[in-house]
Amino acid sequence: MMQSYWFGDIEEGICQPYPGDAEALAGRFLSLHTSIDQFIPFDWKVALDCGVCRDRADYISKLRAVCVLIAEKKIREKYKSKDTELLQMTRTLDELDTVINLLTERVVEWHQIRQPSFSRKYRRTPVHSLVRMIAQRSGGGLGRVTGDIERLSETRTVLAREVSARADEVMPNCSALIGGLVAARLLLHAGGLESLARLPGSAIQVLGARTALFSHLRSHTPAPKHGIIFQHRRVHNALREVRGKVARVLAAKLAIAARLDFYRGVADLAFIEQAQARIDAAGEAP
Amino acid sequence: MIWIDGVLVSRGEGGVYGERMLSGARVWDPYRSKLSALCHLGKGVELTNDMRVLYLGAAHGTTVSHVADYAEVVYAVEFAPRPMQDLLEVARRRINVVPIMADASLPEQYAPLLEPVDLLYQDVAQPDQVTIALRNCIFLKRGGTLILMLKTRSVDTRREPGLVFSDTLPRLASGGLPMKDSTWLVPYHHDHAAIICVKE
Repeated sequence: MMQSYWFGDIEEGICQPYPGDAEALAGRFLSLHTSIDQFIPFDWKVALDCGVCRDRADYISKLRAVCVLIAEKKIREKYKSKDTELLQMTRTLDELDTVINLLTERVVEWHQIRQPSFSRKYRRTPVHSLVRMIAQRSGGGLGRVTGDIERLSETRTVLAREVSARADEVMPNCSALIGGLVAARLLLHAGGLESLARLPGSAIQVLGARTALFSHLRSHTPAPKHGIIFQHRRVHNALREVRGKVARVLAAKLAIAARLDFYRGVADLAFIEQAQARIDAAGEAP
Repeated sequence: MIWIDGVLVSRGEGGVYGERMLSGARVWDPYRSKLSALCHLGKGVELTNDMRVLYLGAAHGTTVSHVADYAEVVYAVEFAPRPMQDLLEVARRRINVVPIMADASLPEQYAPLLEPVDLLYQDVAQPDQVTIALRNCIFLKRGGTLILMLKTRSVDTRREPGLVFSDTLPRLASGGLPMKDSTWLVPYHHDHAAIICVKE
């Protein structure tokens, strides 16, 4: 029975050290398949007799070098999956929104102190115009912060475009059905493309409606019809009577799309066309 | 183990995670490290400089760095990539830390790297912590010690920690790891039990 260890193979008492440097040993280790039932733990002296190392310190130092390389390879492998960066991008986008809203509220309050006659009542000024107006009229800290909010909003627009483009690339089928931004949010809530691909349609339908879902399960309030997918136009524009149906059909198709995205990674045009038709049909008035 | 006026310390290069220094030694905080808490409760194992340690659930390598100050070599197993990046940084600076990126519940993934060890220390946030301990027991020398930091809330958040604890012991014993000692880690950590076993 041959035993494979990190430094080489041992068969019937004969040791065959693996030639090559730490890099080669790390590469070989990643291709090893060990069965724990047949594994025999080894003493480091085997490696010494084998001529792999000079002494104990040399043994540990060689092993350590190989282990560090293995870990670095594995970390790189984990991060290589394209969805990890998209997750960070989407999180940043959502956090930018939070920060912009918080700062805007604060700045408006501050402006009200400086302008006792100012009130937002009966005015239809959109918030971004209000921010611009405050930025132009105010000096000092208030002016600077308001200017920063405007710049942050520009950054947000650019980032949103980037997120959408990246989502088209990472999850082409889901993005085709609900658009890149909403697809990226779904991904964020599922925690990754693999977990999203493992979710059933019914879970995708209420992803992001956790509070409503648990209040339904606990105290039998009405079940949530949609979570994040409400942000998609075909759901929020649908007639009230069919909105739940649209959400359900869309979620079911998304579950298939997510699996296509994870296991194939390319857009399936025939599937997308059929799914779109089915979702549109669900939205027609009863 | 080195104590300075009732404070547990270890001797090594400082600045790993902003730990306090006391007369040139690194303070090993029982509120941050479960192993230190165990020592403060008087139940710990005396770490010596000829000990080989297998550490499952190494995380960011903070406790690992203290263990490495005492032991001969520490095999530190961690699965998640983010903490592993920190652990690698610790391993680059401490020549007796061997970082292993693998899933502790699948020892076949890293078996060819390990030699038999004197101490198996396990601190993993997984539901089936006993199975993980039993599977890794093949790396433990006969007469070697297992320290299992049982995170009862990871086993089952809703069950009474005491029940989770008492379920664990017979399973360990039937796997050849009879309990020698045990304690709850209060006041340092809540719902955590330390179980110390010696391999038959």
